[in-house]
Amino acid sequence: MDKRHPSSFQQLEKLGEGTYATVFKGRNGQTGAFVALKEIHLDSEEGTPSTAIREISLMKELKHENIVSLYDVIHTENKLMLVFEYMDKDLKKYMDSYHNPNGGPRGALDAPTIKSFMWQLMKGVAFCHDNRVLHRDLKPQNLLINNQGQLKLADFGLARAFGIPVNTFSNEVVTLWYRAPDVLLGSRTYNTSIDIWSAGCIMAEMFTGRPLFPGTTNEDQLLKIFRLMGTPSERSWPGISQFPEYKTTWPVYATQELRNLLPSVDAAGLGLLGQMLQMRPEMRCSAQQALQHPWFAEFQQREAARAGQQAAFR
Amino acid sequence: MPPARTARRVVTDENAETGTQRLTRAKAAALETSAGDPPKKALATKRSTTAPLNGTIAGRKRTALADVSNVTKKDATENVEGKKGALEKPTLSRSAKPAGVTKQPARTNSTRTVLGQKTTNSGSSDLKRPASGSGFAGQVAKKRNTSSSKPPMVVDDEDEENAPPATNGVKSSVEIKKKTTTVNSTTTKACLKPDEDDDYPSLEEVIKDAKDLDAEDVDDPLMVAEYVHEIFDYMRELEITTMPNPSYMDSQTDLEWKMRGILVDWLLEVHTRFRLLPETLFLTVNIIDRFLSSKVVQLDRLQLVGVTAMFIASKYEEVLSPHVQNFVHVADDGFSETEILSAERFVLAALDYDLSYPNPMNFLRRISKADSYDIQTRTLGKYLLEIGCLDHRFLKYRPSLLAAAAMYLARMALGRGEWDATLSKYAGYTEQEIQPVFKLMVDYLHSPVQHDAFFRKYASKKFLKASIVLRQWAKKWAPKYLDNVQDQPSSGKTPRS
Repeated sequence: MDKRHPSSFQQLEKLGEGTYATVFKGRNGQTGAFVALKEIHLDSEEGTPSTAIREISLMKELKHENIVSLYDVIHTENKLMLVFEYMDKDLKKYMDSYHNPNGGPRGALDAPTIKSFMWQLMKGVAFCHDNRVLHRDLKPQNLLINNQGQLKLADFGLARAFGIPVNTFSNEVVTLWYRAPDVLLGSRTYNTSIDIWSAGCIMAEMFTGRPLFPGTTNEDQLLKIFRLMGTPSERSWPGISQFPEYKTTWPVYATQELRNLLPSVDAAGLGLLGQMLQMRPEMRCSAQQALQHPWFAEFQQREAARAGQQAAFR
Repeated sequence: MPPARTARRVVTDENAETGTQRLTRAKAAALETSAGDPPKKALATKRSTTAPLNGTIAGRKRTALADVSNVTKKDATENVEGKKGALEKPTLSRSAKPAGVTKQPARTNSTRTVLGQKTTNSGSSDLKRPASGSGFAGQVAKKRNTSSSKPPMVVDDEDEENAPPATNGVKSSVEIKKKTTTVNSTTTKACLKPDEDDDYPSLEEVIKDAKDLDAEDVDDPLMVAEYVHEIFDYMRELEITTMPNPSYMDSQTDLEWKMRGILVDWLLEVHTRFRLLPETLFLTVNIIDRFLSSKVVQLDRLQLVGVTAMFIASKYEEVLSPHVQNFVHVADDGFSETEILSAERFVLAALDYDLSYPNPMNFLRRISKADSYDIQTRTLGKYLLEIGCLDHRFLKYRPSLLAAAAMYLARMALGRGEWDATLSKYAGYTEQEIQPVFKLMVDYLHSPVQHDAFFRKYASKKFLKASIVLRQWAKKWAPKYLDNVQDQPSSGKTPRS
């Protein structure tokens, strides 16, 4: 049987619909294994979308346990189908259907799960960054979860490889709620730190069950951020007045304590979150630094132990 | 080291160098409608006008292609091609093609039309593109600007700090870590290294005294200092996996190296006309070479391969890539949109969708850091890197080595001093390792001009007359380097031109 023919996969229910693709659950006719089929409609005018070209090329490079695997690409005249490893649900749906045994607000996850998910998220992000890839669209819908509690990064449609120094890119990236303030201010010279901001927003959302900054417009998004982080000024953020979206008319908000908003988070967790949710991109921690944060101590020990074991067997 | 002054110029100059005004989708649309398809017209006009003007050149080129088409080993090709589908349709008549592939079109008035266009259009695009990065750098760097926006600030400290190499004590711990990484990549390289000579110091030995310039970048978001080593190590791995087969022409029944040169020379013009990123050009050429390494292509499809490669590379690299129609026009309607789109699928599949080619520009900028981002050196370096695109003899060398040789030669021509430990470290190559590529570049510069569009592009003031300057330099010095390179120890003597 020809593995590369679309008909070798049985198409099951629709899992989701994106701007340029529809995702179905599928079954491999040969092995019976489930897969995710991402069907991309080809524009008769422009051919293969650049998002798809980048996504395929980058996903072929990024082989990591916290990044969803791309198995195959089937390219016909009018559609392009990407065959991915099957994951049970995305983080958004996972949160929506979660019932915390210890109570707590609807949609909020329990602390050990959050820590595990954040660890895996930062592992995946660090791997991307090490391999000079920006994801640029981290949000709960793009983080997939399976029944073993594994979390994997998916949807690299907005991702791209960067050089050093980082090139100027489009600032129409990242879903509004998870978009970093520097990008909202019009920066095109962002770097790996934009993924860190998104990850911080996701962490807070897992604790409360609600998006941290659910803005409606670019401007509203900035103001929602300022309401928590304080309105920035030249003093707190030298150079801010040079940004295209800088306004002198912003209301002046004082900085709030994260702990008031997130009472259920322990001190170490708040410490890490504070380092990720820095308004100034250069102040944000890197994914590697996040992984070394004391909040993740148990995971670091487990990893060290595993490395030790492997060394012993060698 | 050049004075810090130069660094400031970097900002503006490199913008120009990179081609600040690029074609946005909006602009592309404007070109099609209001502006009246200039690319097409350009080519069309040119064909008639140009022929008399540069009869010799045109004649020579056409002959080259004509010869081949007469000789075509059609049968052989068709056997192979028959199975491959997409690319095989012989729609394009032979006669039409030469016009497209030959570059005569590009020059004279056609080019002028396009340039005129650019000025008008760029105004509007400027409005649309705010200078954002400036927030950090303080200085407004127009729009896109790659290496430049930050260097000005960094460079200043850098210079002071680096002046006394001995004062490096504080950083030594960082340094050691760094060295380990570099060493790794050296080992990888060893397998591909052309000629290893035991008499010369290894990279490891050479860079013992190198300075660590990355420490200063910690506060610079664009330099991604926390990942710089992982990223460059990774690129050094990737560049091996994305090398074409340097002798693929042996398996091509219908093509010769000369035609590849003509094609790339023409693409270079298209690239300039569309105001694309330097990265896009290099990726385009890599796509062409990898494709030709795996598929046999008929002469009358070669231009389609080139255009398709650039179409794909633009989608991968550009923020806004030109429409497929622009590519059809620029090729003088030699083939249809449908053909390009179908070729796109075919080429992507042949490459297994792998566009991870690490761009030589990344390596060039990395080395540039070790000479304080001197704009003159880098501009000459860019020209020399592009020689690597045009002349097939460079196919067997890795992008990082090409970048090292380009910077090495550029510095020599400008009398910028020896290839010291820091340069070796940031390039990843010792002077000795660079020699074969360096010689080849000198040889190219010393030979008669083969690629006119390329030569003319870099003869402009914007590119600091790189092609002229380097040819003059080669005229004077080539005999020395080409004759007794073997006897040249790695003394780092730099002739002043």
